[in-house]
Amino acid sequence: MANARINNRIRRLRFDHDEMTQEELASRVGCTRQTIIALEQGKYVPSIELAFKIAKAFGVTLEEVFQYEE
Amino acid sequence: MAPLQKRALYALLIGLVLAIALLVVFISQGDVTIFDKDQGFRLIVYGLWIGVPVIYLILINLTLRKPTQIDERDRLIIEKAPKTQLLAVLLSLAAWIIVLTEVYWDRGQMPLIFLTLIFISTLIVSTLAQSLGILIGYWRANRYG
Repeated sequence: MANARINNRIRRLRFDHDEMTQEELASRVGCTRQTIIALEQGKYVPSIELAFKIAKAFGVTLEEVFQYEE
Repeated sequence: MAPLQKRALYALLIGLVLAIALLVVFISQGDVTIFDKDQGFRLIVYGLWIGVPVIYLILINLTLRKPTQIDERDRLIIEKAPKTQLLAVLLSLAAWIIVLTEVYWDRGQMPLIFLTLIFISTLIVSTLAQSLGILIGYWRANRYG
């Protein structure tokens, strides 16, 4: 399988949304702050459900948060 | 530290203290057959070995029941912990077999109490290794993703 990577713009989107804290985002999407930290560092790829919840929390589409790179 | 990670660390540390206390109790008596003869000694041993899984149940299982304390990433880490648990149990059983074989080979028999001790130690090792597996899971996730 080719090396693939899923990048995200969560950190950028948080700052664009009144500097939303990691804790606040975690509470909105129903996960722990450590998972948001891992996501921002690119060390965790979320489930589809969590990905949709994050996109919904920012009011954007999934593709605006997550990008798939081959 | 994630809430589950913190609790796994506490469960491991408290469990280790109880396990070491159990070892000290046996070593201080100098003879394992005292377990058969002394009821007071038996009660101390039961208290110590039951303490390990009880601490685990209180710290870890109660966390799992609170949706705000645990999420999908934590669940993935928990699902991988049994690998460490299995390895630790197999290693502890292998250690028992090697030590008992070497010590009692010439006599051709060994005290029955060792069956109880093997069970007690397996339960303790299994519980401690579950917490250790969770901590290793977080370490790997933070390091390699």
